[in-house]
Amino acid sequence: MSGAAKTDPLRLGFMETMEVEGRGHIGGLLITNQNGRPLEFQCTTPVKPNRTQEILFGETLRPWLLGELIGCTLLDRVAIKPSLIVTSNLHLLELRNHTHIPVACTNDARTKIAEQGETLRIGGNILRFHEAHGVDAELLSKQKHLLPDSADLAEPLERVREALAETIKTVFAR
Amino acid sequence: MSSWPDEATVETTDVPGNPEQSTTSEILTIDPALIAEARRSTKVDVAQTGFNPALGRLPTIETQGYSLNTVLDFVPSWTARRIPMKCIGLTLPDGMEFMPPKLDTTMTSDGTQLRKIAPPKPETSEPVDPDKPRKATRIKPPADALSLQDRLFYLLQPPLESWLAGQELIMPFEPFAYQYEGIAWLFARQAALLADEMGLGKTMQTITAIRLLLRSGQAKRIVLICPKPLIPNWQREFKTWAEELPVVTVEGNGPRRRMLWTMPGIPVLLANYELMARDIAEIPDDEQPKFDLLVLDEAQRIKNRDSRTAEVARSIRRRRSWALTGTPIENRPEELGALFEFLEVIPKAASPDLRQLSKLAKKYILRRTKDLVMKDMPPRIDRDAELELTDAQELAYRTAEKEGVVQLNDLGDSITVQHVFELVLRLKQITNFDPLTGESAKLERLMADMEEIAASGGKAILFSQWTKTIDWLQPHLKEFNPLIYHGGVPTKQREPILARFKAEPDKHILLMSYGTGAVGLNLQFAGYVFLYDRWWNPAIEDQAINRAHRIGVKNPVIVTRFICKNTIEERIDRVLREKRELFQAILGDGDTENVTLSMNASEIFGLFDLRARHKDGSKSIGPKPVKAIADAA
Repeated sequence: MSGAAKTDPLRLGFMETMEVEGRGHIGGLLITNQNGRPLEFQCTTPVKPNRTQEILFGETLRPWLLGELIGCTLLDRVAIKPSLIVTSNLHLLELRNHTHIPVACTNDARTKIAEQGETLRIGGNILRFHEAHGVDAELLSKQKHLLPDSADLAEPLERVREALAETIKTVFAR
Repeated sequence: MSSWPDEATVETTDVPGNPEQSTTSEILTIDPALIAEARRSTKVDVAQTGFNPALGRLPTIETQGYSLNTVLDFVPSWTARRIPMKCIGLTLPDGMEFMPPKLDTTMTSDGTQLRKIAPPKPETSEPVDPDKPRKATRIKPPADALSLQDRLFYLLQPPLESWLAGQELIMPFEPFAYQYEGIAWLFARQAALLADEMGLGKTMQTITAIRLLLRSGQAKRIVLICPKPLIPNWQREFKTWAEELPVVTVEGNGPRRRMLWTMPGIPVLLANYELMARDIAEIPDDEQPKFDLLVLDEAQRIKNRDSRTAEVARSIRRRRSWALTGTPIENRPEELGALFEFLEVIPKAASPDLRQLSKLAKKYILRRTKDLVMKDMPPRIDRDAELELTDAQELAYRTAEKEGVVQLNDLGDSITVQHVFELVLRLKQITNFDPLTGESAKLERLMADMEEIAASGGKAILFSQWTKTIDWLQPHLKEFNPLIYHGGVPTKQREPILARFKAEPDKHILLMSYGTGAVGLNLQFAGYVFLYDRWWNPAIEDQAINRAHRIGVKNPVIVTRFICKNTIEERIDRVLREKRELFQAILGDGDTENVTLSMNASEIFGLFDLRARHKDGSKSIGPKPVKAIADAA
């Protein structure tokens, strides 16, 4: 590990969720160093809202389920706390209302970026932040020099999705 | 008959204790008309028995007031709370930390010219296009990784391109796509045989995979065994591709070597086969070193599974086993069995059949040929120079052959393959040059070619089976300033000879023996290769040719095989060519470079229309190239 890494423990979190057919959603959180090397990974067991929750939460069901329920659980469980959480799922931005850690959504091709909220370009990615926490973009822009210029913040999300798919295949599909 | 009063009063009683309701009773006056109606409707005709006078009485009606409940008995209630869920966690091992390499590494010692990866820039004005697909080689979990944690470990590793181009692992030159695939394949395997054709970069792929294993914490102690002449080559390549890795070579006296074998904290240990066989056997069981990875370079050295070298290699305690060879099968398919036994993927002394070998090969062998992966590499142009012997050679050859065959026939049943072999060697030497007159058809052709090569400033490598031939050629080629590299040259002098051949423009030809020069050397600046005489096994010839025709070569390499017509050389060539196809089924189609049998005893007898007298007609004869390397060392 380089000397720079020793003095600057920038840790990145990459969070994704995935639906398991008939069993609800699972989520995964990968913690890496600034160069994308994996340090820790946590994923949840499937969680499925019941009918009452579906009715009562309405449109807020997914932000609650993915952002608050799964996101907070994962964040509680990781031993290495990240300096930034990146996701491609807009619903996970809800997590920012329950943590002080900035949460950003990449402009993954599969996800339509919301019109609201601050944005920040890092490497080849445009990050969008929770509209109520626009200050995150400013804070992160002060730290972005710590990331390699070639950093691709969308790539580790692909790893998380693959890991979740492997977990579903190995454990939950039995 | 009942009688009704003219008017009636009804007393109401309130519920006591209810503040909203009065406790006072009130008398209600009933309308007489209603009473009259009641009398009519309640009139009952009964017998005047006197027993039921109550029927005639007006009923007393009392009303009672009740308040409405403010709390219902059942109200559905729901409170938002967290649904309990479990987590599956994986903490990845800490990698080994090294001193960062210098950033100005720009040269390889072998002159390889590849594109350099640009160092990271602080800012970019040209953002990466997210829609543009990026090259990404992902590490896939091997089929034998069963636990979820093991599989996730591999899946969560970054693509090799970004890992190696990152600030932590600086690569001096960008690997080719197939090399990335090879690195990812090696990294994820406990047992692996990397059998890329010579010249495709097995060394670099292995070093990089070792580097990644150490950096990801998957290995802490690695030993690499190679033939002694290749030790400097590996040291040089480690310095080029992984400058930050501390590499220690096992050498020195016995106590020092033992200390090196057993001393913890050495990430990469480099040793030759001879020292491995000697030292490991002498270390007591309870002090035997244990390694996370054992790599055997030129692993055909253990093709004889009963050899001491093979037994010692198998006895070394390790978690992972990798074997490297460009010729996984030199002679017989059973040799693959010996390699699989080392890899511990078949039981001890097992003899898998061809079908099983093919199945194992698909799982544990990665082999790419230049034809498959280096489509843009300058071609290798083979040409057979079929030569007529000179008159003196012809006379000497025919005389020797005639006398030799007569002698063999005279031997009767006492004839052995060794007798035939001696005749073959004698005849082959005459095709090289006539020992009496010194005439040589091959030399004449060589001189003609060399004049042209030297005039154009080119360089050539010449291979021969005999050091005697090489020494004989040297004075004849004086005008081309020949350099000699064979087993008779002390090891310490060999590297400078190669350096001179590369650096000095007037050194146009390097004379090498197959045994010493065929493996591990990078001579891709030479555009011409001469095979002055033929080796017993074309796989070895290919190894020799690939010293020049390998990665980094800029121009086509012209390979000239000297074959004297109507001689033993022509017959040997025909036999070997016919046998090339047999093993392609094992390593797959399109593998035209590797597998060829050397000749067995029956085939040697057949060269002179003799029949093998012994049952062991399949016994392989001829000098063994690997042994020759060891002897030369």
